Amino acid sequence: MNAGFKLRAAEALADPLLKVAVERTAGTAEAKRATAVAAFDAFEAARTRAAAIKDHVIAHLGHYLEQFEANAIAAGAQVHWAETADDACRIVVDLCRRAGAKSVARSKSMLGEEIGLPHALAEAGIERVETDLAEHIIQLAGERPSHIVWPAMHKTREQVSDLFRARHAEPHAEETITAMAESARRHLRTAMLGADVGISGANFLVADTGAVCTVTNEGNAELSVVPPRVHIVTAGIEKLVPSMDHAIHLLRMLARSATGAPLTQYTTFYTGPKRARDLDGPEEMHIVLVDNGRTKMRDEGLAEMLRCIRCGACMNHCVVFRQIGGHAYGGTYPGPMGAVLTPTLDGLAASRDLPQACTMNGKCQEVCPVRIPLPTLLRGWREKSWREGLEPVSTRSAVRLWAWVARRPWLYRLSARMAVRAMCLFGRRWIAAIPLAGAWTRHRDLPAPQGRTFMDQYRRRQR
Amino acid sequence: MSARDAILRRLDTNSGDVAAEARALLALPERPAVDARALIETFAERLSAPGVAASLDRIESVEQLPGAVAAYLGTYAPVPALYLPPDPAVQRLDWSSVALDAACAVDGGAALAVASAAVAETGSLVLDTAPTAPMLPNFLALHHLVVVRAKTLVAHLEDVPAPATMPRARYWVTGVSGTTDIEGQYVRGAHGPRFLHVILIG
Repeated sequence: MNAGFKLRAAEALADPLLKVAVERTAGTAEAKRATAVAAFDAFEAARTRAAAIKDHVIAHLGHYLEQFEANAIAAGAQVHWAETADDACRIVVDLCRRAGAKSVARSKSMLGEEIGLPHALAEAGIERVETDLAEHIIQLAGERPSHIVWPAMHKTREQVSDLFRARHAEPHAEETITAMAESARRHLRTAMLGADVGISGANFLVADTGAVCTVTNEGNAELSVVPPRVHIVTAGIEKLVPSMDHAIHLLRMLARSATGAPLTQYTTFYTGPKRARDLDGPEEMHIVLVDNGRTKMRDEGLAEMLRCIRCGACMNHCVVFRQIGGHAYGGTYPGPMGAVLTPTLDGLAASRDLPQACTMNGKCQEVCPVRIPLPTLLRGWREKSWREGLEPVSTRSAVRLWAWVARRPWLYRLSARMAVRAMCLFGRRWIAAIPLAGAWTRHRDLPAPQGRTFMDQYRRRQR
Repeated sequence: MSARDAILRRLDTNSGDVAAEARALLALPERPAVDARALIETFAERLSAPGVAASLDRIESVEQLPGAVAAYLGTYAPVPALYLPPDPAVQRLDWSSVALDAACAVDGGAALAVASAAVAETGSLVLDTAPTAPMLPNFLALHHLVVVRAKTLVAHLEDVPAPATMPRARYWVTGVSGTTDIEGQYVRGAHGPRFLHVILIG
């Protein structure tokens, strides 16, 4: 993936359609969030509280997991535990097989993507119906999500239109987005209602009731998990909250940070399977609690990352994401939060370019609803990459040389003085090219140094 | 060792009064201001916000419900057939003026639901599943009609009374089934309802 990131980023930068598509959705999200935050007086204090709630849960995760498990079981649900992504997939596939499932309806879940559930279901020969409109689009295109809230944000309407015409039985008659959405509605309705198993993620797991909370604007989670005989929830263990009221505080932050709305259109708390005289709902409810590196993150300096509620604000506001989109990152999670998570999930050796692809402008940290210090965590990966010798020889030698010079002030000042003179040889006011620095100057001009170095000028003034 | 035991063993057994700490985290929570003297006005304003985009009708008593429903459905052609939940509170009324659909059409019709509470802060309706209240019709219909009593209207989400036991599903409806998945453009009626009509009693 190492060389891959630079290649993918270069391809993404050269794709004019991608830039337009990303800019439309992320730009709108940025503006809507700003309006929503401005309308909520104490938003900054609310962020601090949200972070404190998540920190409390992470500190007492064992306690809340046990409490949640006991309450979910009391409500009639079955709870399963998975150490790894493969274990989680095996549990879900086994449950599907036991239910005799030919097809499953799946409501978008980033955890499902993280553990590779789409692939595992395909290998088991189980048909998968993605019910979130964006997930449906990328399923038809055979692609991966490029954003955690808008997985198909990289697709233009023309591309979606072509996909639907090729794959829907009764495609749209006119080329409008409304007509395309209706085509998907016709297509997905029947597929959803005929599924044997419904699979969802969880936005929150409520410890004191054993409830599983999902949020959607499309209502596809409810349509995916209510009709089938079996409902399977896959959830990361960091999704716990102590109570409904804690969930409410985080829901206010989540909706505003993601879409700028005060709340999602459909917010549902599922507690166990169908009751004795209920008219609908699944007969079995299974909850798969997935670790997949989370306890390790907690113990290895990434506990703050477990606060993440997956709103996507960090990527919407990231100058790098806005240029290259989500696919270039190569992992399940893109943008700043992805650059922190991917080294944990896929290994640092395979993803050391991601923490480097950051300008450290701090915008992600400013908008994060749970105040995750993303730049600090990214710097942590950079330091680890250095300690483990993963940086290329050229970088290592250059930094070592710089460090050697920087520790000798007289030499450093001499070098700076020489560099100022030397740089003036390449241009009077603007420098367009410098030998050996072609990779840098090919796309950039820089102003030529005017006059003396800072230290020389400073010394002169002191006199 | 089972995965459960292995995961729990890696997580410290807690120390201190976890419950007291959790409660302290909720002291004086920041939330959008709601004028307690103008709950209905705030609720109505939230319902008309573009993201919720619900219509609101107000009636004096539940006896007027069938007439109000017939008037709403009559503004659409063809007039959608209505699914009524097996809730005695609405079943006992005279529905002769409305075309009923006992099975709930897979697409295109209308469904009525009785909310247990409403929230002014967000314009949300709180729905609970019960033997008298199935969930699916509210997601299948094109027109979602929700009836709620004014006296159950509360200021904030936290103020909704907790049920004695959680129903199979408690769901907050704050608008219709909408999507912005194609180029960020908002489309109503993605999978479920395209219209939300709220009838407030009292």
